[in-house]
Amino acid sequence: MARDKEKRSCGQVLAEWRAFLWDPRTRQFLGRTGTSWGLILLFYLVFYGFLAGLFALTMWVMLQSVDPHVPKYQDRLLTPGLMIRPRAEGLDVTFNVSQSHTWLPYVQALHQFLEPYNDSLQAARNAPCVPGRYNEQPDDAVPNYPKRACRFNRSALGACSGLGHAGADWDYGYGSGRPCVLVKVNRVINFFPGRNKSINVICMAKVNYTQPVVAVRFSNASANVEHHIECRLQAEGLRTDDDRDKFAGRVAFRLRINRD
Amino acid sequence: IQEDHKLSASELEGKYGTNINKGLSSARAAELLARDGLNSLTPPKATPEIVKFLKQMVGGFSILLWVGAVFSWISSGIQIAQGADSPFDNLYLGVVLALVVILTGIFAYYQEAKSTNIMASFSKMVPQQALVIRDGEKKELPAEQLVIGDIVEIKGGDRIPADIRLIAAQGCKVDNSSLTGESEPQPRSCEFTHDNPLETRNIAFYSTTCVEGTATGVVINTGDRTVIGRIASLASGVGNEKTPIAIEIEHFVYLVAGVAVSIGVLFFIISVSMRYKILDSIIFLIGIIVANVPEGLLATVTVSLSLTAKRMAKKNCLVKNLEAVETLGSTSIICSDKTGTLTQNRMTVAHLWFDNQIYSADTSEDQTTQPFDQSSPTWTALSKIVALCNRAEFRPGQEGIPIMKRVVVGDASETALLKFSEVLLGDVMSIRAQNKKVAEIPFNSTNKFQLSIHETDDANDKCYLLVMKGAPERILERCSTIMINGKEEPLDSEKAEAFQTAYMELGGMGERVLGFCHLYLPENEFPDTYSFDTDAMNFPTSNLCFVGLLSMIDPPRSTVPDAVSKCRSAGIKVIMVTGDHPITAKAIARSVGIISATSETVEDIAKRLNIPVERVNRREATAAVVNGMELKDMSLQELDEILCNHSEIVFARTSPQQKLIIVEGCQRQGAVVAVTGDGVNDSPALKKADIGIAMGIAGSDAAKNAADMVLLDDNFASIVTGVEEGRLIFDNLKKTIAYTLTKNIAELCPFLIYIIASIPLPIGTITILFIDLGTDIIPSVALAYEKAESDIMNRRPRNKQKDRLVNQQLAVYSYLQIGIMQSVGAFVTYFTVYAEQGFLPLTLLGVRVDWENSAINDFEDSYGQQWTKYQRTYLQWTGYTAFFVSITIQQVADLIIRKTRRNSIFQQGLFRNKVIWVGIFSQIGIALILTYGLGHVTALNFTPLR
Repeated sequence: MARDKEKRSCGQVLAEWRAFLWDPRTRQFLGRTGTSWGLILLFYLVFYGFLAGLFALTMWVMLQSVDPHVPKYQDRLLTPGLMIRPRAEGLDVTFNVSQSHTWLPYVQALHQFLEPYNDSLQAARNAPCVPGRYNEQPDDAVPNYPKRACRFNRSALGACSGLGHAGADWDYGYGSGRPCVLVKVNRVINFFPGRNKSINVICMAKVNYTQPVVAVRFSNASANVEHHIECRLQAEGLRTDDDRDKFAGRVAFRLRINRD
Repeated sequence: IQEDHKLSASELEGKYGTNINKGLSSARAAELLARDGLNSLTPPKATPEIVKFLKQMVGGFSILLWVGAVFSWISSGIQIAQGADSPFDNLYLGVVLALVVILTGIFAYYQEAKSTNIMASFSKMVPQQALVIRDGEKKELPAEQLVIGDIVEIKGGDRIPADIRLIAAQGCKVDNSSLTGESEPQPRSCEFTHDNPLETRNIAFYSTTCVEGTATGVVINTGDRTVIGRIASLASGVGNEKTPIAIEIEHFVYLVAGVAVSIGVLFFIISVSMRYKILDSIIFLIGIIVANVPEGLLATVTVSLSLTAKRMAKKNCLVKNLEAVETLGSTSIICSDKTGTLTQNRMTVAHLWFDNQIYSADTSEDQTTQPFDQSSPTWTALSKIVALCNRAEFRPGQEGIPIMKRVVVGDASETALLKFSEVLLGDVMSIRAQNKKVAEIPFNSTNKFQLSIHETDDANDKCYLLVMKGAPERILERCSTIMINGKEEPLDSEKAEAFQTAYMELGGMGERVLGFCHLYLPENEFPDTYSFDTDAMNFPTSNLCFVGLLSMIDPPRSTVPDAVSKCRSAGIKVIMVTGDHPITAKAIARSVGIISATSETVEDIAKRLNIPVERVNRREATAAVVNGMELKDMSLQELDEILCNHSEIVFARTSPQQKLIIVEGCQRQGAVVAVTGDGVNDSPALKKADIGIAMGIAGSDAAKNAADMVLLDDNFASIVTGVEEGRLIFDNLKKTIAYTLTKNIAELCPFLIYIIASIPLPIGTITILFIDLGTDIIPSVALAYEKAESDIMNRRPRNKQKDRLVNQQLAVYSYLQIGIMQSVGAFVTYFTVYAEQGFLPLTLLGVRVDWENSAINDFEDSYGQQWTKYQRTYLQWTGYTAFFVSITIQQVADLIIRKTRRNSIFQQGLFRNKVIWVGIFSQIGIALILTYGLGHVTALNFTPLR
């Protein structure tokens, strides 16, 4: 089998490329004339336009099938997550009592977080509920929106409400080395915790319980020691021992109060 | 430098301790064999297996994937050092990538080893024998057993088994083309003619071939010490040339790798300038490379090619290298031999003339009866002459074999007549026994007839029957009457005229015509005691009764006309090159369609218009019959003109050297030329051709060695099958590549949109590998089983420069059209999964940083629900799975699209290729197993779907 190989010089290759880029004889740019480019661009414009339209249409149809108030599936949220406030970097609440700049950000974050829980706002937006019973607002025939949540007054957090004046509890106890950490359950629509029995948050520290935010106050945590604290939801039918999800129904964080 | 060529025979005997008449003794030969080793070339030092293996590990896309794997490990190392939560994801990814490379490497290595074995077995298929004189006896020995001092005899067609100093030669010529490149055969004799051992006539070299004549000589060098052995050890470093299909695949790998690297680098720069961390950008880069590289494709291509080679072997085309398959597909001119390739290579009775009428006989390969009218008493007389005036006989013990396949002792025409009468009359041997032969004159070239005298089988009739056959004009001279419808009538000029017309007509068809006559010898003159003397001719040999004519031809194989017309519609020119007479060649060319029914040669036109040949406009003739004598005097331009202007060409009375000139002429036209050949002296033409085809049955070893392909059944139709297979594999590879490339866009888009729009990652790198190496492998191999499309033999041959395997159309169609459609479809699935779980499409935009932050465990969706990191990751995996399933399902549709290139799917038939359906079911099955069976293996990132 014999085959002839053509060898081209560098200059020839260059000239070929230049002719490919712009061929003045045929008036071709990159191997196509202007009309040809126009047509091909038109084709892709129409083609992609059509595809975009098709995409938009299917998305619209899909969104029509989705309920605006309740997600279609909630199988991924069987066990709600647990989270703390202040949300420290790496869930590591560390501060020095005598250096206010180490804990002031926590205090501000908590203030900001608890703003909507102010008693006045709660009274205006939410409805009072009977404790110990679910506040259900079913859509009988007519959709019933917006729904009103149960009142949760900031003042109910007591010493952890941060409502005191300077010198009192306004700093959630951070200034005095008895910090409050708020533990909250992730919101999940149509989640009925504890099957009509009240649920508890168990922490390794003292618990001051109210819903839906639980304030944990570490009244006499020893200083200069790292505390590993885990809080767990305790309710019937709720698994909190998932190996992979460290936040399903529980939360673990570190607390270190430094004193000079 | 050896001086052996200067020595005399007796000096040689002394030097090598041998005897020219008796040869060496066996003991001495064994001694020498032990000292010098086998007479064979040490094979070139093979590349060590481990090097071959490592080459597979870094070839093609492997190097890209290794880069990906190394990056994965580096980034995983950095993540471990930084104490991130999931540092092992990248470690796994690296391991998986490395595994992919190693596994595909092992597979490719295995395939290569297998094909090497096939080729190795081919070279063993032709063991060489040598005729040696030892202990005073002639022996056939394997050539590798030869030692110096052995006396060997060679004859035309043999390969010279070692370097030989000739001591006797008769008309010996050798083809030194393998040594010197001269294609002209060199005469060899025992005279010392030149000081240089390479130039002198009395040495024949190892591995050259003896073209004609015979010779005897003393072995003076064996094995690696032969001239060719010394050259071979010098040249063993020269590597194999790359095959066209390898070039195409390399071109494709460069293309895809180029796209992968440039998109990867582009988005690396984009992501860095979008203030992503360098580490993240590197991970994106890996994702883009993995998405872009069709990991499984090279393995698929290898499998497809070896499937084709197997299929071709089944159809009697033994391909020596896969290169040939593809080159055959792009063939534009086939130069074919006539005898044996286009024809059946046996004389057969084609026509009969008796009762003033021409009858045609059946010439097909497996005739059992003859259709012409056999009721005339003239036929009875004729058939008797045919059966009796014949010396050929069947070899005994062939009763069970069909008549046409039986072995006959006798020359070609007599064999044809014997078989013809055996078919028509039944047991010819018993007919001859009943009509006992009493005298016979065999055929010779001076009297040009054959005569025999028989007793008749009629017991009451005591007269003898004289039967005669021979050259028609000679037979007619001896006749005074002619038999018409069983009656003897005087042979007047009118009847002689009718005979002449018939004779010319049959001769004009290129057939060999024989005349038959008989005479019942009068009983009174020749009583049964009469003693016939063939020397004295004491019986009448004139005034006989003419009975009829029979004409014979070597008929075309029945599959050939169809194959030729296939070639014609496939844009392939078929040129016949034969040593036969032009008239015969033209007749066969016409009957197989190489010269079509309507086209005329210059001579035909001249005859029709009744003008001299010179005045005919040569452009009007589409066909040409070129005589070897004319060819000899032709300039290259004249030959080019003939090849260019005539679409139907027959070269007659050509020599093998002229075959080479014809091939070169065709190649000057820019054609891809396939040439058939069987003789030793065809090897230069076979080598020169783009694809040399040797005959498996009639071919000599030299031809088989020079060829790229061996036709096991010597049939021209098999070449056409090969062309079809060559085109088919090219088409099917295109389909496979198009199918494989399509999904790359659907795998790539997620990464691009992930980087630009910061949505949660739609598909993971490992998931992509599961598509490329899991669900898509069997379907893409299944495309190799796709049947040919209706136009496969109706389009022009592929232009090697223009019609690439992967061209712009294919890339654009796969990437920018179908690929984009697939991506759109997959994204719809992705957004649906997220929306149904609570994340409406718009909320997904720009969430990447928070979404992937493992400290945020109360990430809010569109409904105000809050998600922990693990819940989000699990949802992300569900997204991967949905995207994966979406691509898989769309690939099923893609597979059905890719079944055809030009045909409609209904023309092609949905169910003709069953393997495609195996592919589709495997695809769905693997997807189901991955989704529902392995949903709980974290490292694979699959989750069960609702």
